[in-house]
Amino acid sequence: MIEIVQEYWQAYLWNDGGQLSGLAMTLWLLVISVAIGFVMSVPLAVARVSKNPWVRGPVWFYTYVFRGTPLYIQLLLFYTGVYSLSVVQSSDLLNTFFREGFNCAALAFALNTCAYTTEIFAGAIRSTPHGEIEAARAYGMSTFTMYRRVIIPSMLRRALPFYGNEVILMLHATTVAFTATVPDILKVARDVNSATYASFEAFGIAAALYAVIAFFLVWLFRRCEMHWLAFLKPQSH
Amino acid sequence: MYKLVVDDLHKKYGEHEVLKGVSLKARAGDVISIIGSSGSGKSTFLRCINFLEQPCAGSITVNAEQIRTVRDKKGALRVADARQLQAMRTKLSMVFQHFNLWAHMTVLENIVEAPVNVLGVPRDEAVARARKYLAKVGLPESVEGKYPSHLSGGMQQRVAIARALAMEPEVMLFDEPTSALDPELVGEVLKVMQSLAEEGRTMVVVTHEMGFARHVSNHVVFLHQGRVEEEGHPDVVLNQPKSERLKQFLTGSLK
Repeated sequence: MIEIVQEYWQAYLWNDGGQLSGLAMTLWLLVISVAIGFVMSVPLAVARVSKNPWVRGPVWFYTYVFRGTPLYIQLLLFYTGVYSLSVVQSSDLLNTFFREGFNCAALAFALNTCAYTTEIFAGAIRSTPHGEIEAARAYGMSTFTMYRRVIIPSMLRRALPFYGNEVILMLHATTVAFTATVPDILKVARDVNSATYASFEAFGIAAALYAVIAFFLVWLFRRCEMHWLAFLKPQSH
Repeated sequence: MYKLVVDDLHKKYGEHEVLKGVSLKARAGDVISIIGSSGSGKSTFLRCINFLEQPCAGSITVNAEQIRTVRDKKGALRVADARQLQAMRTKLSMVFQHFNLWAHMTVLENIVEAPVNVLGVPRDEAVARARKYLAKVGLPESVEGKYPSHLSGGMQQRVAIARALAMEPEVMLFDEPTSALDPELVGEVLKVMQSLAEEGRTMVVVTHEMGFARHVSNHVVFLHQGRVEEEGHPDVVLNQPKSERLKQFLTGSLK
């Protein structure tokens, strides 16, 4: 155990001797996909609850496809499937992008988490108290101002506990990234396993690292909830 | 010169006609109470004034400016110019039965919100205004940072009144402002409304509080089945009702 830690701690944490790896890679992958997913999901959630079927429909279709198929298959499609298309091979930009396993993984994860987040946010928008919307209208807000000042800030707060869950699920979902040769925690663990045959230690260390990140995320979202969801809590004097 | 003129308002829900031509005129300083049993259309009437409900016919004029409307395919009236409606709504601030404060904003943020983001009042000025009106509705400065859910119903409704005042509106619309309150909290809200009336603010109040209608308002409108059954000065309307229905309503509601 001690020897494995001594020899591989650097690879587990941040560098396998040439590139970002292990914990740092998992975090980077998580942060980039969750960030892209979040930024896209807010406008998509607004579109998802639109009265216009031409706006609502495509978003419904997108979330249906990405929630209805396994993430693992989505990743395989992006990493191996898309690359085999002639359109991609003939375009320099696409070619360079899809050759990188990391790009494929980040894209698949971002689109996947974005689909779930869109549904979480759309649900929270639908449950906005009707009276608050009426008050916004009665006080002369335009639809844009109403979304910007009332609906979205209220929705993001109420969705926070569910969103925190989604981020933790996403952390665990990043373990399929090794398929696209991304050297995340699990990839390092597999390499250590095949180099030493100490399976329990190799994967045990990986599990502990994931647990540490998950614990940190739980703590972080707890703090956010204390700050932004104070309006839902019974008052403490 | 009228602050608010509502002319011949009609409203239908499907085949059911809720308002069958209701008119109302308010001069500056008028306090008009709209009374009637439930289902008489009084709340619908009030909500049609600022187009929270779409009337089927009729016109609404605020400060001599009429809201331009067009008829849609279903025959209901639609506002022709959304900006004109938004501008008009800022002159008609509304106080709701269920307060409808924005739950994720503190008391101060609730009051500052529309002046800053709709009227474009500088933030400092809006905050000063908010504090002035909080004092006016009798709330201590210590509630400023609290969220609505941490206050009693009576306090929430007083915050909602401060929010309405902060718009410095031409006319204030009250939609059964005390109906959702516990009986012991009704008094504090009515007292605030009375002080506003005494200041000379123009108010249209849908209410079940006969005491308020009798002693504070200078005009009472009795609605029955979507029509104005009787209206006039409260001393006349409430003490010498002419119609059978108003007599029935008053014996039922006055204890």
